[in-house]
Amino acid sequence: MGLLEYTIRRILLIIPTLLGVILLIFAVSQLFTPEQRATLYITSERQMRDIDSIINQYHLRESVFTQLIGWLQQLLQGNLGYSRTGGGPVLQVLLRKLPATFELVIWSIPLTVFIGIYLGTKSAVHRDTSIDHITRMISIIGWSLPSFWLGIMLIAIFFQGLGWFPPERMSQPTFNYITLSGNWHWYTGLLVIDGLLNGTPWITIDALRHIILPTITLTTINIALIVRIMRSGMLEALGKGYIVMAKAKGLSNKEVINKHARRNALIPVMTVAGLLTAGLLTGVTITETVFNIDGVGRWAAVAAGGGGTVPDVPAVLGFALFAGIVYVVANLVVDIMYAYIDPRIRLG
Amino acid sequence: MNLKQLKTELSPTLKEVKFTLKRVRKSPLSILGMAIITFYVIIAVFAPVLAPPVDPNAPYAIFHDGYGPTPRPPGSEVLDSWIRNMGWTVHYFGTAEGQLDIYYGCIWGTRTAFRIGLMVVVISLIIGLLMGCLSGYYGGIIDEILMRFTDIILAFPGLILAMALVIALPRVWRLEIGFPLAIIGIFIIIMLIGHFLKLRSAISASLGILSVAIFAVLYYGVLGSPPIYTMGIELTDLDKVLVALALVGWPGYTRVIRGEILRVRQEDYVEAAKAAGCSDVRIILRHILPNAMYSVVIMASLDIGSIVLTAAALSFLGIGAPLGYADWGQMISFARGWIWSGQENPWQFWYTFIIPGLFIFTFVLGWNLLGDAFRDILDPTLRRR
Repeated sequence: MGLLEYTIRRILLIIPTLLGVILLIFAVSQLFTPEQRATLYITSERQMRDIDSIINQYHLRESVFTQLIGWLQQLLQGNLGYSRTGGGPVLQVLLRKLPATFELVIWSIPLTVFIGIYLGTKSAVHRDTSIDHITRMISIIGWSLPSFWLGIMLIAIFFQGLGWFPPERMSQPTFNYITLSGNWHWYTGLLVIDGLLNGTPWITIDALRHIILPTITLTTINIALIVRIMRSGMLEALGKGYIVMAKAKGLSNKEVINKHARRNALIPVMTVAGLLTAGLLTGVTITETVFNIDGVGRWAAVAAGGGGTVPDVPAVLGFALFAGIVYVVANLVVDIMYAYIDPRIRLG
Repeated sequence: MNLKQLKTELSPTLKEVKFTLKRVRKSPLSILGMAIITFYVIIAVFAPVLAPPVDPNAPYAIFHDGYGPTPRPPGSEVLDSWIRNMGWTVHYFGTAEGQLDIYYGCIWGTRTAFRIGLMVVVISLIIGLLMGCLSGYYGGIIDEILMRFTDIILAFPGLILAMALVIALPRVWRLEIGFPLAIIGIFIIIMLIGHFLKLRSAISASLGILSVAIFAVLYYGVLGSPPIYTMGIELTDLDKVLVALALVGWPGYTRVIRGEILRVRQEDYVEAAKAAGCSDVRIILRHILPNAMYSVVIMASLDIGSIVLTAAALSFLGIGAPLGYADWGQMISFARGWIWSGQENPWQFWYTFIIPGLFIFTFVLGWNLLGDAFRDILDPTLRRR
């Protein structure tokens, strides 16, 4: 099977999964009362007042099949309902809040991956020595720390205590400049880069100061995943015949580890990149809530629990749908890259 | 069977167990993990002694010493005379917002943590075992349907799906159990008929699924889903978290058990049992499951740590145990207001978040330390190195 054929096949295979994801969200929505479900169909605050006509219009008290068809039609038009906590239609709010989340994730991914690979290699090469024990201890501690607690502690130390790194996405002067000055233009949606592109380096510095603590939090809780896989991958690779062979022909230890063992151990790390996506999606929900960053994660958290006694149903379901789709697509990309790197997958 | 026979039969198993224990003893991290978990088990068991409930009817409700908004430091005196009469004189760990006693919450929170962890693992394991057996043993269309279903649930990050489920579950869950019971009944009847007609089990299973599908379409489409037998289950806020986490957790176990069964199914002794004329149920229960579930059960029980962590995160977000319930995650969320209030000295109220946080952290750490050691020990490719 060629790479192209494999890729096409894999892309076609996600269609039933995506359909399933949509159906599951629909199934969850069936647990709500018709009144709560009606909010999934409206597009503005004004319509909130005549919920009854919405219920009748979309047959929300009738059989499941009728409702499913109505809901799918809504979905195809891109209407996911009106989010009370976001103050707008779900899809619009999602797109508006995405850059803040993206900026947080984009710094955390490389840190998690590179530090994880480095620590995992170190740990495997020095198996059962104190280096191994310390590295594993660090990653297990990161894995066991409640992310919200870590975030609170970091704020208490580095913001309240030392005053170095403030929470939230930006400080007041930056906010004023962006909203009021009229000179600001969003190029990428990332504050750090747009600060430079707009010729305002002080905004970049401000954004960096705000992004450091959340990035540390996200990285710490996800790093154990990479360390663990890298370590066992390295251990397996180091036991292989070609390593003994490489050593026997007189290569230095460093060369054996870097060029022979590590390259092969990197392949299993690829497979958990999908899991890392899940960890990040979960992570931003908590991290953004703790650091008060106005992204999709905090929006979903507020919608589910913090926004009063009545949950904002469309927002939570919309976010779950979004998370499901992102996760499925991430796994697709990982699978295709995996097949590209490792011919055994597509040929086997 | 005499004793000697029994000994020879069990000796490979005993040898493996001994080897595993030897490896556990050699790893200092797993011993530390074991010690931490033992410590928490003791706290949970002796909670009524360590922290006698003020209201014996509601031991999980943290007691109030007044309703003042400002937390008080560890060692403050108990002001409420009624609580003093119950034997409480000092707030060992201080009080949180609303004068909730932190020590009491931490001690009884241990029980909550064990309850959440154990219940979720047991429920999802039972569903996982059932589905995994069906899927792995029968294969074919059953396998295909169940695996696609697990794919879909696994396509969501756990916490996010759980979040949606917790808010979706109503206080009184009206379960139309008549319908699933009818489905299971129809399936079993078709399987039995197939059994008597001596059809291959895959064929009768396919027929069973077909008739269930026809029934479902009739029920929903033509009859308009009339209630057959409805059962109302009352769910407390904590139950909702339990149910949601179990509903999110079972697919993982299903897949592992299915894999194990596929592996075991090929073994000679299963073929021998089939040749000897054992029934499917007997083969699954007596020959396959005992060999397939050993590692799954260990893995699942080590998940308790991460389950408790997820539940704590839900509590922190405000979707979980009700206000004032002995629950570590919620106790930390109390502290958030103080961190944000721009206090001169943020460490003035350190006890409100450091102490409950340490409880969650060390509890989860204990399970993860043990889990990490076991992953190496049970991994067949690394085991004998």
